Amino acid sequence: MVKVRVLGAAERAVGTRHATGALDLARRLPRLAIEARRIAATAAHGIHGRRQAGSGEAFWQFRAFVPGEPAHRVDWRRSARDEERYYVREREWEAAHTVWLWIDRSPSMGYASALSQAPKIDRAIVLGLALADLLVRGGERVGHIGLTNPVASRSIVDRIAEALAADQTPPADLPTPLPLAPLTEAVLISDFLTPAGRVQDAIERMAARGAGGHLVMVLDPVEETFPFEGQAVLADVESSQTLRVGDAGAFGALVRQRLQAHRQALKDACARRGWTFAVHRTDRPASEALLSLAARIAERDAGMAGVRIGGGG
Amino acid sequence: MFEWLSLGFTTPAVLLALTALPALWLLLRVTPPQPRRIDFPPLRLILDLAPQQESPARTPWWLLVLRLLVAGLVIVAMAGPVWNALKQAVGRSGPVVLMVDAGWAAAPDWLDRMTAAEEIVRSAARDDRPVAVVSTGAPLAEVQMGDAGAALEKLRALKPAPHMPDRAAILPPLGRFLARERNAELVWIADGVAQGAQAPFRDGLKALVGSHALTIVSGPAARPLALAGVENAAAGMSVRVLRAEPNGRDAGVVRALDKRGLPLGEAPFSFSAGAAETRADLTIPVDLRNEIARLDIADERSAGAVALVDESSRRRRVGLVSGATADVAQPLLSPTYYVARALTPYADVREPRMGPNDAINQLLDEKVSMLVMADVGALPPDIRQKLANFVDKGGLLLRFAGSRLATATNDELSPVKLRRGGRALGGALSWESPRTLAPFDQASPFFGLPLPKDVGITRQLLAEPEADLSKKTWAALSDGTPIITAERRGQGLLVLVHVTADTTWSNLPLSGLFVDMLRRVTALAGAGDPQVQANANGQPATVSPLRTLDGFGVFQPPPATARPIALNAPLLASLDHPPGFYGSPDTPVAVNALAADATLAKLDVSGLGATLQPLRSEPPIDLRPWMIALALLGFAVDTLAVLWLGGRLTFGRARRAATTAGVILLAGAALLAAPPPQAFAAEQRPPVSPKEMDAALTTRFAYVTTGDANVDEISRSGLAGLSSFLSARTALSPGDPAPIDPARDELAVYPIIYWPIVAGRPAPSEAAVRKLDDFMKGGGTVIFDTRDALSNRPGGAPTPETAALRQILAGVAVPQLEPVPRDHVVTKAFYLIDSFPGRYADGQTWIEALPREGPDAERPARAGDGVSPIIITSNDWASAWAVGRRGEPLYPLTPGGARQRELAFRAGVNVVMYALTGNYKADQVHVPALLERLGQ
Repeated sequence: MVKVRVLGAAERAVGTRHATGALDLARRLPRLAIEARRIAATAAHGIHGRRQAGSGEAFWQFRAFVPGEPAHRVDWRRSARDEERYYVREREWEAAHTVWLWIDRSPSMGYASALSQAPKIDRAIVLGLALADLLVRGGERVGHIGLTNPVASRSIVDRIAEALAADQTPPADLPTPLPLAPLTEAVLISDFLTPAGRVQDAIERMAARGAGGHLVMVLDPVEETFPFEGQAVLADVESSQTLRVGDAGAFGALVRQRLQAHRQALKDACARRGWTFAVHRTDRPASEALLSLAARIAERDAGMAGVRIGGGG
Repeated sequence: MFEWLSLGFTTPAVLLALTALPALWLLLRVTPPQPRRIDFPPLRLILDLAPQQESPARTPWWLLVLRLLVAGLVIVAMAGPVWNALKQAVGRSGPVVLMVDAGWAAAPDWLDRMTAAEEIVRSAARDDRPVAVVSTGAPLAEVQMGDAGAALEKLRALKPAPHMPDRAAILPPLGRFLARERNAELVWIADGVAQGAQAPFRDGLKALVGSHALTIVSGPAARPLALAGVENAAAGMSVRVLRAEPNGRDAGVVRALDKRGLPLGEAPFSFSAGAAETRADLTIPVDLRNEIARLDIADERSAGAVALVDESSRRRRVGLVSGATADVAQPLLSPTYYVARALTPYADVREPRMGPNDAINQLLDEKVSMLVMADVGALPPDIRQKLANFVDKGGLLLRFAGSRLATATNDELSPVKLRRGGRALGGALSWESPRTLAPFDQASPFFGLPLPKDVGITRQLLAEPEADLSKKTWAALSDGTPIITAERRGQGLLVLVHVTADTTWSNLPLSGLFVDMLRRVTALAGAGDPQVQANANGQPATVSPLRTLDGFGVFQPPPATARPIALNAPLLASLDHPPGFYGSPDTPVAVNALAADATLAKLDVSGLGATLQPLRSEPPIDLRPWMIALALLGFAVDTLAVLWLGGRLTFGRARRAATTAGVILLAGAALLAAPPPQAFAAEQRPPVSPKEMDAALTTRFAYVTTGDANVDEISRSGLAGLSSFLSARTALSPGDPAPIDPARDELAVYPIIYWPIVAGRPAPSEAAVRKLDDFMKGGGTVIFDTRDALSNRPGGAPTPETAALRQILAGVAVPQLEPVPRDHVVTKAFYLIDSFPGRYADGQTWIEALPREGPDAERPARAGDGVSPIIITSNDWASAWAVGRRGEPLYPLTPGGARQRELAFRAGVNVVMYALTGNYKADQVHVPALLERLGQ
């Protein structure tokens, strides 16, 4: 029989081990791979021009001075070459990308089995913080939904970890479903063991203004394979509900079927809004999930940029 | 029911409950153990799923088997199982004649025999069969039948006889009885040993038994071992160890005991496979050997395993007579000197200092067994006659040649005719060199003795050639001339050595060979049986029993049936003559259960048509406690299994639990087997008090409570102030100071003890002083504060505090002290300070004197090997350190000022650092030199 373990509240608390683990993970990622992704994503990462006039450093275009504008905008050097009109130097609008992170810390995340490498919550936090570090190093701004503002600080890992540790509100299953600004992205890391309808609602509302997003479903291998035999009493982690099963081996097929359907529903919900969905099992290394997640974010950015260039050009 | 298992039940009816096991099986099968609980987070997604297969899993088959086994064990245990249960009666009906072999051979396992006999009697009693008990050990007139009670009484009165009884003696009455009772059954508890011819008894019994049922209860092999034929040979005492047949007892030990029963030696023996006889050789010094009165086989309780040793196998009484009377004045030149020296270790040598005739007379009267005559010439006829009689009756006469014998004519007391004069070899007028001895003939008693090369014979008496001279020759020279001749006359022996007993004719008496030869000759001397000699008038001499053996081989007063034994016949044990010592206490005669040449044979019962039954020796074993223990063990295993099935026990914990269970079991076993509990209590250390635990876990200072509350409070607040100062300024964070009583508290856990001296308090107890001494020797530092800097005058009378301090330190090994020198490491341990002020600034502080160094030592700091065990100050440090709850100083200083308080704290820090780090700072001063050397 596979041994399973439910973590207590103290064990679930965010600590230094998560921050260190995340930094380790982010550092372990081969630099070359990251560089390759950044190059592949062209201007998608980092300070990228928005291809329109705005506040930035790079020259964009000269345009005619419109009466009523503040006089200090006049580019006198250009205007001196023209006798008729005044010119204004416009710079390209540059903006950092914003990624909203959300990590599930509900009791169901505090779960580990003998097959897994780490409890789900450890894996989720490490994954989230490492992603934050990676993104910030790529020039993005990262914030945790409901806890921190998006910043591009080098100490993003510590900031988010501190915020998570200081958070006293009871952990919820899903983030507060507030609409996110367009061109931002959400990364939700959870086990998503809530009814698929609620998840879909949350996605719909968050993506209402066009924000993109990625769902990472962190699962214990036991939750996917249900490798139990014989008579058993199944107990819920977050409530006191139990289910008595006469023959767990036979019941396992039903369970796997149901969980498969649940996962499909989540995938469909994501697909409706162009979000991505991935499953990460805690018996796999965290770096694997991080790489694929980073790749998807980069891909999406590149895609968006391409769409915009194509559409705007 | 369980005959083949030799398993029986006291209450077999309980076994009927075993039929209920199938019902139990059905019941257990449908009540499986409680299911295990699995935490499963996705449960809320699948709560609505109805399990398809609701029927519960069955109880695992092995658990079922285990439980049934436990139930079966309990039921069987309740039935009272007994291993080796008593067997039922031998036969069916009719009287039972129980024939018990009761010789010494039955003694070793007598209890088993009696148990078997009682068993048979009881089983006969259950069937209401009359029983007759017949013992071979006692004469039997008629076989008398009786009830079981009488038979048991008779059985209990039976004792094994110390001799080997003649079984044939009971045949006539037995035959009469069997002829009378046609349906009688004969049960014979046989010892399996036979001596002598077996055919008469076997045939007689066969004729008697006829159609009667005969059962022979006998061991698988005859167990007894016996001793016979003690031989006190020259090399050692040896005894034959006998057995009737190979019985697995292939090795053992023969013990030798003296007259009082004290052990003298042991000799191991071992039978070669299949052999029925072996020897045990006792190689102990001969004088000890002569003390041996009894040989027995260790752990063999029977009269047959005892061999008594009497005078006949002991040292001989030897008389020495010299023909030269004048030699008395020069004993070293006496012809008998060498003989006496050679014989003394082995024989009782008598040498009367008188003329040869009188001496011979007296010695013969003393009943010597051997008479040595060195160069005795002609003898008066009456003496000669006496000597001839002596030899006839078994005496041994050993004569040495000499000039007197050479001139004697016609001496009858010589084995050979002697030629007058003899011959000289290797003399001045002879061409021949001295002759040496030829190797001994096989017929010679000296055969086997090593021949020394340097024995030379220069002169000898020559024997007249005779036809049987070579037969009489025991030793000859290399040219074949006889040098020792002997002749048997009557029962005795006449031996002549053809050289002198001293070294005038040869150097033979100087050699080791001489000693060996004399020993062998002495061994040939017959026993000087005084009784035989005394009653040599035709009537058989008899001696009465002195101490006799019982069947188990234990000495006891002679029984009433014991009768005097005749000495002229072979001394054989019988009913009338039980084995033992007979005769006078000084020279008793031994009668043994077995004759010297006895052999034992296996009892032959073939052709009797008897049912053979083994003689059971294992006692019945009650199996109930073991079965119940096994059942309890099964219950425990069942509990563990149920826990495991229910998921409450994982493998790791199971292993731990098993270990724990094992430890508990072992501990239980140890408790059971073990010594009384106070042995444990003695080993246990006294419990560690919470206070000591705290002190050991956190570094903290201690102060000695003086009994004066004010002083104690100053000490406490002072040390607390110093502790907080240390926490603020240094890496050390001491805990709260601890009040201690040196007599009661453990001191070793504190690095520093502050001891304010209060005059007028009783001196600490001796135990406290001893513990203080131990503490100081163990590396601790004690700060004595006399607090008398104000009243102390240099050179003046000691203050009361100083006196009190001296009283305390009277029992402590205080090292040599000195005022703290300026270069002492304590002045540089943390701060650089040059004084140790406290509440007073001008008091002196003393510390263990450092070893003086040379004047050229330029070191800024000096330190000894360790830490000063004692620091004495009079500055009242604690008052300067004392702070209140808010950190405010509590006591004014003299002369005063914040600077003095700061210096006081710094002094305290230095003292603490010094006590904790030792000479570390003194080593630090080398750092600049080291850095310079490294080229910095």
